[in-house]
Amino acid sequence: MKANPKHVLTGVYYIDGDVASGYGAMAAGCRFIAGYPITPSTEAFEAFCRWGPQVGAMFIQMEDELGSISAVVGAVWSGIKSMTITSGPGYSLMMETIGYGAMLETPFVLLNIQRGGPSTGVPTKTGQADMMQSRWGSHGDYELIAFAPESPQEMFDYTIRAFNLAEKYRCPVMIMSDECVGHMTEKVVIPEADKIDIEPRRFYTGPPEQYLPFKPDPDLVPKMAKAGDGFKLYITGLLHDEKGHPVSNEEYSMKYVKRLVDKIRLNKDKIIELKEENTEDADIVVVSYGISSRVAVKGVEIARQRGIKVGALRLVTVWPFPDEKIAELAKKTKAFVVPEINYGQVVFDVARCVHGQSNIVLVPHGGAGVHNPADIADAIEYAAKTDKQIEGVVEFKTRLEKLVFEGGFKLKE
Amino acid sequence: MEEPTKAIKEIHPDPSATSGVHPMENLLRMERMPHIWCPTCGIGLAVTAFTAALTKANIDTNKMSIVSGIGCTGRVAGYVKLDSFHTTHGRPIAFGTGIRVANPGIKVVVFSGDGDLIAIGGNHFIHAARRNIDMLVICVNNFIYAMTGGQVAPTTPLAAYATTSPYGCVEPPFNIPYIADSAGAVYVARWTTLHVRRLTNSITEALQKTGFSVVEVISPCGMYYSRINRLGDGLDMMRFYHDNVEIRNGEDTKNLDIGFQTKIICGKFVDRERPSYMERYNQWLSEVKGARGEG
Amino acid sequence: MNLITSIFNKGIETSGIERKRISIPSDIPFSPEVIEKLGVDYFHTARGRAIPFGTGLKLGNPDLRVMPVTGDLMTLGGNHFVHGVRRNMELLVICVNNFIYKKIDGKTAPSTANKFSPYSTFEEPFNFPHLGNSCGAVYTARWTALHAEELAASIAEAITKPGLAVIEIIAPGPNYYTDIDDIDENLLKFYFDNSIIKNDTNPREVGITPEDKIIVGRFTDKKRPTFIDVYNVQLGKTIGEKFTPYGVTQTEKKKSGGSDGGN
Repeated sequence: MKANPKHVLTGVYYIDGDVASGYGAMAAGCRFIAGYPITPSTEAFEAFCRWGPQVGAMFIQMEDELGSISAVVGAVWSGIKSMTITSGPGYSLMMETIGYGAMLETPFVLLNIQRGGPSTGVPTKTGQADMMQSRWGSHGDYELIAFAPESPQEMFDYTIRAFNLAEKYRCPVMIMSDECVGHMTEKVVIPEADKIDIEPRRFYTGPPEQYLPFKPDPDLVPKMAKAGDGFKLYITGLLHDEKGHPVSNEEYSMKYVKRLVDKIRLNKDKIIELKEENTEDADIVVVSYGISSRVAVKGVEIARQRGIKVGALRLVTVWPFPDEKIAELAKKTKAFVVPEINYGQVVFDVARCVHGQSNIVLVPHGGAGVHNPADIADAIEYAAKTDKQIEGVVEFKTRLEKLVFEGGFKLKE
Repeated sequence: MEEPTKAIKEIHPDPSATSGVHPMENLLRMERMPHIWCPTCGIGLAVTAFTAALTKANIDTNKMSIVSGIGCTGRVAGYVKLDSFHTTHGRPIAFGTGIRVANPGIKVVVFSGDGDLIAIGGNHFIHAARRNIDMLVICVNNFIYAMTGGQVAPTTPLAAYATTSPYGCVEPPFNIPYIADSAGAVYVARWTTLHVRRLTNSITEALQKTGFSVVEVISPCGMYYSRINRLGDGLDMMRFYHDNVEIRNGEDTKNLDIGFQTKIICGKFVDRERPSYMERYNQWLSEVKGARGEG
Repeated sequence: MNLITSIFNKGIETSGIERKRISIPSDIPFSPEVIEKLGVDYFHTARGRAIPFGTGLKLGNPDLRVMPVTGDLMTLGGNHFVHGVRRNMELLVICVNNFIYKKIDGKTAPSTANKFSPYSTFEEPFNFPHLGNSCGAVYTARWTALHAEELAASIAEAITKPGLAVIEIIAPGPNYYTDIDDIDENLLKFYFDNSIIKNDTNPREVGITPEDKIIVGRFTDKKRPTFIDVYNVQLGKTIGEKFTPYGVTQTEKKKSGGSDGGN
């Protein structure tokens, strides 16, 4: 299915990532946004509020993030595509309903513009420390999909893709962007509507009395119905059978939870998107995502000037994690360098897949800023020069760290 | 130096008010100045009134905590020289409840904004009022989320513009005194930042109350609310307050709705006695103990 | 069928609204058989989130009549309640007040009054109708579960109200929704006997105290534009001709269809 031309603001724009994401949501067929203001994500909500009503979409600013995400799940079950937008503290509040959405197999999109943390942290500056929260934040076992765009153009493109995957696999999809990308203003090209593919919702079309809301199709994803069509829906966050009725035995739990994780895990190949560059004959591979991958480009360039064979692997989708790809690279790569704006999150998943076959160097960052590309280059050089096998993850000491902890750096009064 | 006016002298009986030393230096963290508030913002006036009331009420400031949430007014705790807590968004009342209940020797003042206390913190607000937790809540209402750049708030008057109500606000606003009153607050007053003296008196009075007291302070937001709605700067808003505020002490709280640029009714509306949470708790405890023969 | 849901059934029947148009988001787990009988769409939400979930349903499809049924909604959902009322979202909020958190035995909920609960507490309870009224509810009423006739009539009346209506039902704790045999009949009868019908009382005066009888009846019935009404008027004014009123096509359909005796 193609996008509705009425919803696509075709043209060339100079806008920031937040706004691009708002426009992307409209193009993807999102008809409802419930949000709550939080820096640095509000611009996406504002963009949707400005344009949405002109094309028949609805928006509401709820009393808090708990309310926004609950309203989004409600709106999805009323039959329309919905989205919510938040950052740091709001994301933490939404955890309860993310799990609820996963349990109900509700397709919705959540845009999280990450900021410095923990807690209130640094609202106006960047961070990448919610990555593990996005994967494991809500209680219980489930799988979901998370993107990490690196430019406003990608914010537009991957918002659409997020909606498509949400509908395809009936699960919450996260866009784990960050403040840098959200507030980065760049050229964004919005194509014609007939160039944008839209995944329509899989509605059940048979007789209502035969409908089983949680009976999976062969690809493990069930068909959806909406409220008000006489289906007598019984939808619950309790463990449920195919009819949706509560059950509580161990067999059902196994059957249901396994399907929740398998519908993503078994379709990993179709979901995962990676960008590889020169990994074929590289000694060192830089694994990065989001804004860090953009900074890493320069770091890789410097390292290459120093004569090191470096490849780059960019995780466009962070979850599900590309286990096989990393394991395959580990066989021929000397070391992996992982820059991320935290003190080690995704790097441990890399380590899990590398399984001791290569060295792993983390280039950490405490948040509220991005890496210095020279640090990434130095880390690459360090990895290239280290021949002995080092167990675990090596934490590279960056320039900023030396400055802060070893003197020379004076706190601004 | 210019001679302070009579009004300033009255608010600050402290002789240092005329000596070139900042009159509130003993209550403010001067090392944190300059503050982050925009020119023409009204929050500073609310802080002035608060510190003046502290001086007037003659309260042991070592036994007082000030708790703020997130937002422009959320920064108040950071500028006042008491035990200051800058908490997460919407949670100052819950945080203050913890302080007060765990250590009843500490007087708690929650100083935060409308979005923080009434939107995300609305539940804590009504519950603390119901429990009658002994605290003073000073709620600065500027009709908008200013810290995040001018989004619609649950206090934004109908049809007023904000960045997330680009076509005018479609939600009727809360009448904060009414909700506080109906949830059980023992002291409810509303003033604008123009009424510094009355506001000071109100805060002084509320500080003496035992129970959940609410003082709403209507404050201009020159940067967002006034700019988006083309209402001029802070001084214009002050003139507006001057011309459009009607003082009606004891007015029934249900008549206190605020429309877009309509008349604002100020005054002290509720002043009653209700057993506070700790009083009820202690009474309950003695009953239970008595029943068990432990009393 | 059990007591309260049979009352729901009767109320829905009387209102004449097509059952498939009714959605019940609820944080109370109704049994599938009950929902089957009611013939509505049912969503068991996370605790306290029935109202925002219902807000989403209503805004997603304005044609629906949404009836959030909640337990002691004021604990986790208090904020959603006051804001839902303020917006005048078209919902019929049914609050089943059993004075305790039924599912977690004996913990005090905000509406616990000393004499009416085996677990005494020192906290003062909320006066729902007053709180609802003060935030702007168009309809408030309170009945005990034994006021079956009145309650059913109230539901039938309130479900067609344009705006947020609140009905508080005083019911005893144990399993009122699954099996009538489990109800502590004494307690049920105690509530009934200890209540007094006083329609149109000022909601301010209907707080439940251990000393006085529970005042039941319809307290508020007024008109206020709903969220979607205000949205359409305001955006119609500012956007102009380009704006298509939200949800109006369905409303028109509803009017011409006219089978529900709605508003």
